[in-house]
Amino acid sequence: MLETLEALLHGFSIALTWQNLLWALAGVTLGTMVGILPGIGPALTVALLLPVTFNLDPIASFIMFAGIYYGGMYGGSTTSILLNTPGESASIITAIEGNQMARRGRGAAALATAAIGSFVAGTIATVALTFVAPVMVRVGLAFGPADYFALMVLAFTTVTAVLGSSLARGLTSLLFGIGLGMVGIDLQSGQARYTLGSLELLDGINVITVAVGLFAVGETFYVASRLRRGKQDVEAIKGSIWMNRQEWARSWRPWIRGALLGFPLGSLPAGGAEIPTFLSYTIEKRLSKRPEEFGKGAIEGVAGPEAANNSAAAGVLVPLLTLGIPTSATAAIMLAAFQQFGLQPGPLLFQRAPDLVWGLIASLYVGNAMLLVLNLPLVGMWVRLLTIPRPLLYAGILVFATLGVYSLSNSIVDLITLYAIGAVGFLMRRFGFPVAPAVIGMILGPLAEQQFRRALAISQGDYTVFFTRPLSLTLMVVAALALLVPIALDMRAKRKGRTVEVDD
Amino acid sequence: MAASTTGRKPIAWGDLLVALGVVGFGVYFLQGAYRIKVLPSYSNIGPRFFPFLVAYALLACGVVLTVQALRGVRGLPEEAEDVDADAPTDWRALVIMGAALLLNLLLMRTAGFIVASTVLYLGVAVAFHERNWLRAVLIGAALSTAIYLAFTDLLGLTLPAGIVPL
Repeated sequence: MLETLEALLHGFSIALTWQNLLWALAGVTLGTMVGILPGIGPALTVALLLPVTFNLDPIASFIMFAGIYYGGMYGGSTTSILLNTPGESASIITAIEGNQMARRGRGAAALATAAIGSFVAGTIATVALTFVAPVMVRVGLAFGPADYFALMVLAFTTVTAVLGSSLARGLTSLLFGIGLGMVGIDLQSGQARYTLGSLELLDGINVITVAVGLFAVGETFYVASRLRRGKQDVEAIKGSIWMNRQEWARSWRPWIRGALLGFPLGSLPAGGAEIPTFLSYTIEKRLSKRPEEFGKGAIEGVAGPEAANNSAAAGVLVPLLTLGIPTSATAAIMLAAFQQFGLQPGPLLFQRAPDLVWGLIASLYVGNAMLLVLNLPLVGMWVRLLTIPRPLLYAGILVFATLGVYSLSNSIVDLITLYAIGAVGFLMRRFGFPVAPAVIGMILGPLAEQQFRRALAISQGDYTVFFTRPLSLTLMVVAALALLVPIALDMRAKRKGRTVEVDD
Repeated sequence: MAASTTGRKPIAWGDLLVALGVVGFGVYFLQGAYRIKVLPSYSNIGPRFFPFLVAYALLACGVVLTVQALRGVRGLPEEAEDVDADAPTDWRALVIMGAALLLNLLLMRTAGFIVASTVLYLGVAVAFHERNWLRAVLIGAALSTAIYLAFTDLLGLTLPAGIVPL
């Protein structure tokens, strides 16, 4: 406890230098911007910035990336409140209630409860991260290769079961990512795999190319193919940005509940903020004295899910930093960023790079405070971003995407790969394959293979090693359940559906 | 509905093609796995194990998706802020964007970054129904020039200069 506080204070001494404050400010500003803009998100932004930050100090880079990560969460809620077109699934709930509030002239209050709720929950979750992380590090140190492999299998199955509507599609996306990750020289045996005899592919396919292809090129193709035509209504911000007494009274409990719900669910390798936001909405609706207002602009329905969303985002950092397990697309790109600087997240990171880890955690407190200021009084400035004509916006996204990948190694082959992966990304969106598992698979796949082979080397080829250790056995069983339970539920629902059909 | 009289949904042709594509990926990874060299002296789990695992799992997914598509199960198009998921596919936009990317590839080394990016910018903008072409060209050129100068002068990276004398 005392050790943790000391480490955190040390972290603040790093995060509060004026250079790092500037990097944090740059990060949260950029994050808010890309969170508000459609078609571009934090994962893509960090991926595009990776090559530029190659020569930068790692601590400064990560402080900026963390700012982008948190800022994206804040910005996303502004879009969903003022634009009645649901974007990322975690903010659909906010879109329902927040947009209704905005239409009834209470848009300012909706933005305020989202921003303050995000701040409150983000801070609570960052405190939780501060004290849970060292405990998880101690747990992580006891993990052997077999346990790590089992943990990664769990992350794979939950990510594919949670994201997207169909298990087969989620798995396909994941396997596609793992497959891309196998291209290149196998580090353990020195053999070339899937290189098509090309020298450029011996080093493997760059993660940045894949992420930018799937997120920027694929997304732009998809949006172009079925663009929402006609003018989109951006609701004007009406009312005071300061909530009245009743709005405060109705908001603070959902904030706290959302924070307490989001953090633990976000830290599980179950991926993302979708489940906690939906749960928070359901809980608030059930607890509310005015359930009839839900669906028509209940402030609790904005306050709770927004808090849960931000809290879960902080939770995602726990497995990422302490175990090296990314459970969202942005976390996967951050893991790639660590690898770029020659670092491997996991329990040893806290010993090898304490300045980086604690500077990063301290900067999360700083970033949250900055975001509150950026998003409350200055929200009017951000809203203008929503009125950028879509042709100019998406054209700009593609220019930056091309630039980011071309500047990796000035190679036309990289650009061809980028556009080919973009075409795959387009088909994935068009036919309902979730994109995030592919990115997670590509980054986590090689690590999983490494742990798998290491475990079998230790056990001298005995495959039972994954099922005889209590830790790995438990993780494997949970992983199997994560896959089988949805299938079982699906079959039950179908059987019920069939009997209904017969009744017809 | 007309289809419900027969009790069967029509085959989802688009999904079927994608499902067969997944099977194709599986076959590709499988034949690639056989080609990975394994040294006889190497006693541990070799470089082939994971590729075989991925290949067979992809094949299994492909078969499941094919069966689903034959039964008429469609994948739901993704929702996004600027997307009308129920709209029919706009082939005109896809063709223009594809052409813009191709031109960008061809122009990058010959005409240079600024020209290639301006053409790309214009192409994507037109695919998104931009009416004011001049505005798109001007913004695209300004953006590309600014990026070029920032990258070469400030960051010390190189981008192809091409025909623009800067």
